[in-house]
Amino acid sequence: MRKYVLKRLVQVMVILFCILTILFVLFRLAPGDPVTRMVDPEMTPEESQHLIEQLGLDKPIWTQYLIYLKNCSTGEFGYSIHYGEPVARVIWDKLPNTILLFTTAVLLSAMVGISWGKIAAWRKGKATDLGLTIAALVTHTLFLPWLALLLVWIFAYQLNWFPITGMISDDVWLDPEAGFFTKAGDVLYHMVLPLTTLFLIHFGSYLLVMRSSMLDTLKEDYIVLARAKGLTERDIRNKHAAPNAWLPVVTSVGLSLAFSINGGALTETVFSWPGIGRELVFAVSHNDYPLAQASFLLISTVVLMSNVVVDVLYAFLDPRIRY
Amino acid sequence: MQQATIQDLKAKRRALWRQRFMENWRVFLRNPLGRIGISLLIMFGLMAACSYIPPMIDPMYHPMTGVDPKVVSSVGPSWQHWLGTDFMGRDIFSQLLAGARVAFMVGVSAAFMSVVLGTAVGMTAGYMGRFTDTALMRLADMIMVLPTLLVVLMLAALFGKLSIWMIVLMIALFRWPGVSRIIRAQTLSLKQRPFIDAARVSGASHLRIIFRHIMPNVLPLAFLYMTFRVTSAIVIEAGLAFLGFGDPGTVSWGMMLQWVWKTGHMFQAPYWLLPPGICISLITLSFYMLGRAMDEVLDPRLRDETQAG
Amino acid sequence: MALLTVENLGIGYQTAKGLLKAVDGVNFTLEPGHSLGLVGESGCGKTTIGMALMGLLPPNGRITEGRIVLDGLEISAMSEDELRKVRWNKVSMIFQAAMNALNPVKRISAQMVEAIQVHRPEVSDEAALTRVEGLFNLVGLPLERLYDFPHQYSGGMKQRAIIAMALALNPKLVIADEPTTALDVIVQDQILKETKELQRQFNIGIIFISHDISIVADVCHQIGVMYAGQLVESGPAEEVFFNSKHPYTQALVSSFPTLAGPKTKLAPIPGEPPNLTGTIPGCRFCDRCPKDTASCKLDHPQWQEVGPGHHVLCDHC
Repeated sequence: MRKYVLKRLVQVMVILFCILTILFVLFRLAPGDPVTRMVDPEMTPEESQHLIEQLGLDKPIWTQYLIYLKNCSTGEFGYSIHYGEPVARVIWDKLPNTILLFTTAVLLSAMVGISWGKIAAWRKGKATDLGLTIAALVTHTLFLPWLALLLVWIFAYQLNWFPITGMISDDVWLDPEAGFFTKAGDVLYHMVLPLTTLFLIHFGSYLLVMRSSMLDTLKEDYIVLARAKGLTERDIRNKHAAPNAWLPVVTSVGLSLAFSINGGALTETVFSWPGIGRELVFAVSHNDYPLAQASFLLISTVVLMSNVVVDVLYAFLDPRIRY
Repeated sequence: MQQATIQDLKAKRRALWRQRFMENWRVFLRNPLGRIGISLLIMFGLMAACSYIPPMIDPMYHPMTGVDPKVVSSVGPSWQHWLGTDFMGRDIFSQLLAGARVAFMVGVSAAFMSVVLGTAVGMTAGYMGRFTDTALMRLADMIMVLPTLLVVLMLAALFGKLSIWMIVLMIALFRWPGVSRIIRAQTLSLKQRPFIDAARVSGASHLRIIFRHIMPNVLPLAFLYMTFRVTSAIVIEAGLAFLGFGDPGTVSWGMMLQWVWKTGHMFQAPYWLLPPGICISLITLSFYMLGRAMDEVLDPRLRDETQAG
Repeated sequence: MALLTVENLGIGYQTAKGLLKAVDGVNFTLEPGHSLGLVGESGCGKTTIGMALMGLLPPNGRITEGRIVLDGLEISAMSEDELRKVRWNKVSMIFQAAMNALNPVKRISAQMVEAIQVHRPEVSDEAALTRVEGLFNLVGLPLERLYDFPHQYSGGMKQRAIIAMALALNPKLVIADEPTTALDVIVQDQILKETKELQRQFNIGIIFISHDISIVADVCHQIGVMYAGQLVESGPAEEVFFNSKHPYTQALVSSFPTLAGPKTKLAPIPGEPPNLTGTIPGCRFCDRCPKDTASCKLDHPQWQEVGPGHHVLCDHC
């Protein structure tokens, strides 16, 4: 198993290297001068000279490429033009926020999707199945930013139950009295709407995959054997069918991660959730190239690493796979 | 005599095709998802077709440039403007119709391109095998894990605002790997079948085998995946437009949502917020339902079988 | 008293084209410790009978007439909950190993322990495991493979594990549905010998379902030949095999090569069984029958006794 994880990590490194190279080429191919793109025009001449040297922008292209690779591997992404701060510092703070929202959303929707998919398959053709399938189809195809706006409009603006945007309330976090749980509660309170958005969009696809995978599994001979053994229907479903039906769902979670991060970026943007997805959108809108490049790399890394996690989980769930 | 027999055979084959098509069509229509999907799509098709009418009635109904001179801010529905106007007095209903046209255009063309590309790559990888296969599939793996929306966003940042056709091309370029994987698997299993061997022994070239023998067998599958690609293409374009990176020269539903959001009308103007969102969601839903219904036609395993024993 | 009595059994499947009568008017009895082989082509209803004996007909299948009485219990009239208690306890099943009968994500030992503990919740994990070890010894599986997953077993080992599982609760009746199909001949032979031995040792009744009449003749006391949902010939194994009367049985016998039997030419049976959704007026085999006469198509054939305990459903035998 350890060998497999290592192998996958090496693959991730190779893919990241390819992405880095392509980004480098694109940045040089794009119209305009790389120097003006990467260096804040408001810097003093000394500062900008220092930065140009640091990024190697005055060197031949191959040297530039090598310096770029070295900088990326050490996390030196230059200065953000908008914030006037090192890019690494800007996005490093945002990473936990994205991971918090993203993983909670994926885990929650996968768990709910799987358990409801199981029920739908078990009650195939009955009202429960029909209701769940229709709900899954409809929510799954809702346009995410619109759903987000709708939720904000109804639950934050009209009903005033939740905050409209953001991740924290200043008064809570500035209050020296506030303990960890108050602060955590405050974040959770802000997280409800973005999480609901992502959950509504995602649980449906997991539900549908689990349902059809479960229906396939229920036709298997070992289910007949389990029934012949005199197991209750409940045990057949939970102990024999479900553990097999999970496998395709885990694969589909892995395949949909890239799609989920798209949605994550849109959600962060609408709710002003301070994560890297929003940072990327912001950077692109404000022509902050160093920041955009770094956020994109970081997001790609997050997706790639989550894929590794999913693959390892799969290998863990299916005894037939031994690496 | 011989001529007649060939004619005869051809007629028989045509009849067989027609019979199979009608049978599939019946299976498709028996599926409620297929029926709803088709009806919704016909409705959107009508909307797209009608999008040419309002600007002909009055230039103020032009979705992009037409401004009602009497209106200076967003107003609610009225006889002049069935769904109201946006912040500068443009008619929302005619924008909505134009949006249907853009959605079809983007969805179908991007899906078509990505499916053609994916099928070509999948067949090549599956048929050639060995190094070609490994190289193409590694490439597919890499592209597959990239979040398409954010990649296109990145490209938009570098190359300035993308035109709608560039967006379509980009979506196609980044959405083929899923198709190619499935087509590759199908090609691999077809390659094992005797009729491919027979073709090879009788001296058919690789190209001929790919186009005459493998392609007809993978095309239905490719066609099925096209409907799913249409939905993802529409959603990506809408997302891009929503974030402000759409083609500034076209009115798409995503663009409309961007306007209502960016001009701060989302809490004041439900008549403006609701229609484009409903339309994007519904058109996605209908293509998705179409795809699932087709899935059942193509994969008899999925049909409700009451046969047993 | 007979261990198993099947009286005038009829089983139908609800299909899109109407009710398919998979089994029609089948009668037989089985004495304790005896074995009956049901033979026929696929689709003749033999597996359906096996499933009905376990109360495991698929949702669209049901017993339309007749009854099944096992050890004094009327299986055909039981509720799902009652059936659950009978399954594996009194009647268990040996599935075909080539099928995916063992759950791929659970260890063999866990699947066997489960079978024991479902019916004997009071048995501790240790005691159940000891029992499983005993069963492993019984069927000749090495104990160190106890905690393997199914995919780590060979076909023959899977088959032994399935047999061991079927014996876990000392059932009175075991239904073996094509237990050795898709195993290679040597393993097949070993397993059949061991099954026979186990049956004698534990005095188990066996219903042996197979398409291969030579195997059934070798293993069973009695043979019932099925065609298109009906029993067409039944009797002692030797009688039916060496002295077969029904043209279908004769065709079956000559379609398999035997080492022991008389040397004959292998003959395929031309034609296909009839469609079972409608009503069939006459003999069901007449379309494929060499002795077919005009009256065969019109009248239901009657049972004839052709030897001691040897019956044939044919008017011309």
